[in-house]
Amino acid sequence: MDRWLLLSATLLAVIGGTWGMMSVHRGNRSHWTVVWMIAVLVCQLGFLSLRSQHRAACPLADRGEILVFLSWSLTLFYLLVGPAYRISLLGVFTAPVVVVFQTMALMPGVLDSNPQRILGGNLWHETHAATSVLAYGALALAAVAGVMFLVLDRQLKEQHLQSGLFRNLPPVRELLVSLERLLWLGGALLTIGITAGFVMPHDGGGSLGHLIAAVSVWIGYTVLLTVKSVRGLTGRRLSLLTVGLFILSLGVFAFV
Amino acid sequence: MELLCLGLNHRTAPVEVRERFAIGTTKLGASSCELVGMTGVAEALVISTCNRTEFYLVAIDTRVAFASLESHLAEQTKLDGRATPHFYRMEKTHAARHLCRVVSGLDSMMLGETEIFGQVKVAYQAALEAGATSTVLNRVFQRAFGVGKKVRSETSIQEGSTSVGNVAVDLAEKIFGHLKNSEVMILGAGEMSRITAQSLVSRGARSIFVSNRSYDRAVELATDMGGTAVRFDDWQSVLKRVDIVISSTGAPHTIVQRADVEKARRARKYRPLFFIDIAVPRDIDPAVGEIEEVYLYDIDTLEQLAAEARTRRQKQIEECERIIDAELEKLRLPGT
Repeated sequence: MDRWLLLSATLLAVIGGTWGMMSVHRGNRSHWTVVWMIAVLVCQLGFLSLRSQHRAACPLADRGEILVFLSWSLTLFYLLVGPAYRISLLGVFTAPVVVVFQTMALMPGVLDSNPQRILGGNLWHETHAATSVLAYGALALAAVAGVMFLVLDRQLKEQHLQSGLFRNLPPVRELLVSLERLLWLGGALLTIGITAGFVMPHDGGGSLGHLIAAVSVWIGYTVLLTVKSVRGLTGRRLSLLTVGLFILSLGVFAFV
Repeated sequence: MELLCLGLNHRTAPVEVRERFAIGTTKLGASSCELVGMTGVAEALVISTCNRTEFYLVAIDTRVAFASLESHLAEQTKLDGRATPHFYRMEKTHAARHLCRVVSGLDSMMLGETEIFGQVKVAYQAALEAGATSTVLNRVFQRAFGVGKKVRSETSIQEGSTSVGNVAVDLAEKIFGHLKNSEVMILGAGEMSRITAQSLVSRGARSIFVSNRSYDRAVELATDMGGTAVRFDDWQSVLKRVDIVISSTGAPHTIVQRADVEKARRARKYRPLFFIDIAVPRDIDPAVGEIEEVYLYDIDTLEQLAAEARTRRQKQIEECERIIDAELEKLRLPGT
């Protein structure tokens, strides 16, 4: 059942993304993307709810669950940020990322087909896992906004202003403001996650590599936000660094 | 009862003739009522804008109605028969079709412009309130508004800006969103930069700085626009705070060099900066556009974008006409 829900969420994201892209290509606003993404969120919640019943804990015990939790977090932040900032097009850019993450989760062996109950669960451990993945959702959305900025910036620089995509992209300043706010939100959640990670009991093994990777990611984002606030950064550099840092930061999951 | 239209516009009459027929918005209702008093005329409506004056009548005999109307207008304007060659006359379906074209912006000087829709609505409202319209004109005009909306929503006849000033303002909004948090600097107090800056202010730009070689002229323009004059030697210091720079000096060489902008970047914290260069020869070194956060558009690019929008609108005419014909066919309006 959980797999079917995940498959449905993925197909809905494919439909929402494709629908949005076709609207944009025709030069129209992709109003329905938000509706499709709400349906995606419902299916993701169904999946995570079933998995948490099996696990009797937060469903972050294997890479598949982490990828789905990450997709859920990304969808959730899109639904919170997108319509509020009238960035309907953000959904068109978010949907493919959700599809990629969930398709990876659906690949054989990634998602535990017989999830076991987690024994001796710890509150700090769950806080660490949940807030860290939520942080990744916000940071992923910041990266999506970064990609949108790079597309718009290129079109403005090269003076290619006739495409439906150009007409539908939100203004440069709005994109940069939402990107920065998402970075702050992601950074704050990551700080809570990492603090909880220090407090929770450790069993040695792969935890040192995970710790080093997580702290490196945290330092990376902290430096980026500090430089942006104190010195300032061009929109292009901020976007490139946000996208690059997010891709690199996915390496943390190699140690999970 | 049959529908007829008599009018003149920017294509058929020069401004010195059009101005004789112009009727103020507050007098449209009374003028429509006056026409209803003519022999055989049951309903009347007058539209008057800067580019056209049109009279829509519903009458028993169109030939008689045209003659009465022309005689009435000759008397009112004291032009005798001199205006006659400037009139166009349409009856029945042709008149209804013409109204749909007018409402859709297809007959406007700036193809696809939207202002005419509101102007016709005001004229209709005035005639309705004055009691000059009844069954036929009410139905014809209400349907024409519906057709106008359909044309605008189903085609791209109103998309894109067709003038250099509007292209620049649209680009500014694409970069900064709402302009209420944006500050503008004008280099050179020329007419073109004044018009563009005024468009930016009308869309909410927060403040304007005017810098000109003649400081007195800068003060004059700044006072006109509610802005601040800046001495020409000091414009670099203002660059640190503004978001949009419009340049149109008469200088024979470039005024804004890459080094000027590079110096201000740190203080601006690398925020986006939009340069609009409408001077010939250009005021802004093209190398300025290579700076990451700078968007530089010169007069040729802006004019090209405006021309492309005009061409796109032209290509839409056929589709608009098809929609109008199909709708008129469906509606079977009275008096047509």
